[in-house]
Amino acid sequence: MWVSAKSSISNISLLSFRSHQNPFLSLPHISLPHSHSQSSQKTQVYCGIRELRERIDTIKNTQKITEAMKLVSAARIRRAQEAVINGRPFSEALVEMLYNINEQLQVEDIDVPLTNVRPVKKVAIVVITGDRGLCGGFNNLIIKKAETRMAELKNLGLDFTVISVGKKGNSYFRRRDDALVDRFIEGGTFPTTKDAQAIADDVFSLFVTEEVDKVELVYAKFVSLIKSDPVIHTLLPLSPRGVVSDVNGKCVDAMEDEFFRLTTKEGKLVVERDSVRTKREALSPLLQFEQDPVQILDAMMPLYLNSQILRALQESLASELAARMNAMSNASDNAVELKKTLSMAYNRARQAKITGELLEIVAGAEALRQLD
Amino acid sequence: MTLNLCVLTPNRIVWDSEVKEIILSTNSGQIGILPNHAPIATAVDIGILRICLNDQWITMALMGGFARIGNNEITILVNDAEKGSDIDPQEAQQTLEIAEANLSKAEGKRQTIEANLALRRARTRVEAITMI
Repeated sequence: MWVSAKSSISNISLLSFRSHQNPFLSLPHISLPHSHSQSSQKTQVYCGIRELRERIDTIKNTQKITEAMKLVSAARIRRAQEAVINGRPFSEALVEMLYNINEQLQVEDIDVPLTNVRPVKKVAIVVITGDRGLCGGFNNLIIKKAETRMAELKNLGLDFTVISVGKKGNSYFRRRDDALVDRFIEGGTFPTTKDAQAIADDVFSLFVTEEVDKVELVYAKFVSLIKSDPVIHTLLPLSPRGVVSDVNGKCVDAMEDEFFRLTTKEGKLVVERDSVRTKREALSPLLQFEQDPVQILDAMMPLYLNSQILRALQESLASELAARMNAMSNASDNAVELKKTLSMAYNRARQAKITGELLEIVAGAEALRQLD
Repeated sequence: MTLNLCVLTPNRIVWDSEVKEIILSTNSGQIGILPNHAPIATAVDIGILRICLNDQWITMALMGGFARIGNNEITILVNDAEKGSDIDPQEAQQTLEIAEANLSKAEGKRQTIEANLALRRARTRVEAITMI
């Protein structure tokens, strides 16, 4: 028993000696015969046992928090998606009626202020970001997109102003000393019609008083749970084909900027829209206007604006939640891995220490016995 | 013959069922809609919508929008709608008082317009409760 152990005693006794003297020196990354685990090559753990234990506890707590945040985000994404879906009937009905009314109005010469296409001199950019951090690169992406757009506009020689929605965007733009119009702190956790209305009122007054000639929305479009795209969407002026040109050429970014953009699942909804339109076609020639068509359009445009902005807010929220869910999921996985590595190191250290103590005792006993 | 009424807000569908008659407040006054009304399109003002259902009148506060009536199908699209029964009287009264205070404090054209709108909305909500 002792003979077989003797060959490795010298190694381990050295170890125990060293650890006895200086408990904070490293221990178990010396090549043990069965340590083919990659962790010992990748991460060298330079702590004593007590510190290792503390680190493991800390990481366990962190992992609990990130796991909880991930679950919370996952639950809220579903609510956000439901909100988007609930808003669809409204947008569909509105779009259809606008279309019908537009058709009827094309024979008359109506001047609708919100469709005025003017040569663009100043652009308002509405940037929608999130309120809290810990969501991966989400806020950064949006802000970068806005910045590139601003640089583009500057190159084209156009003036611009920024309306920032969301605490993260606000803090960024505040530090930048740009010319900002309004700063909104997102009201509450869920975008409501009141929030959308506040932004819409602002945008509306800016456009109608001809302070700006074009309003663009920068937000993250929700593509899927893992992917979201920052997009630029022209809000005003509403033009029949979605192509707004400035003094030179196309101002709008290359994307599907149709007049009536409905939802994320473009393909599905386009089909529905067509079918709905054919169903109601019979009504349009009979429709009478209770008031002036101008008044009616006046009532509908704010509705349309509101619904567009609300939808952008909801999609942005859904994207933010998805990004946070992914980031927290990665963080949880990393925490688990790190905990495993540290636990292994801790166990090796612990065992080495125990073995060392055992050997000391045995050696001491041996020595005493030999003296007898 | 009953009318099919659909009240939609950007958030959700507030009402979607059959009714006997409705009274709507528009920019040009109140209009009553009975079955087989001629198809019209109208703008809806901030005001009360009254719905007659099984000989009972239900009030709803609407915050401005648009309505389309045709072939016994009414679609009302509004920014916000609240059923009278869902509004808390205390809170509505408080909102009304706050709105009145804001109006007296408002300076500048834009603020006055906004304060006026807020006041009208608050007043509509209070009326929706008292009308029940």
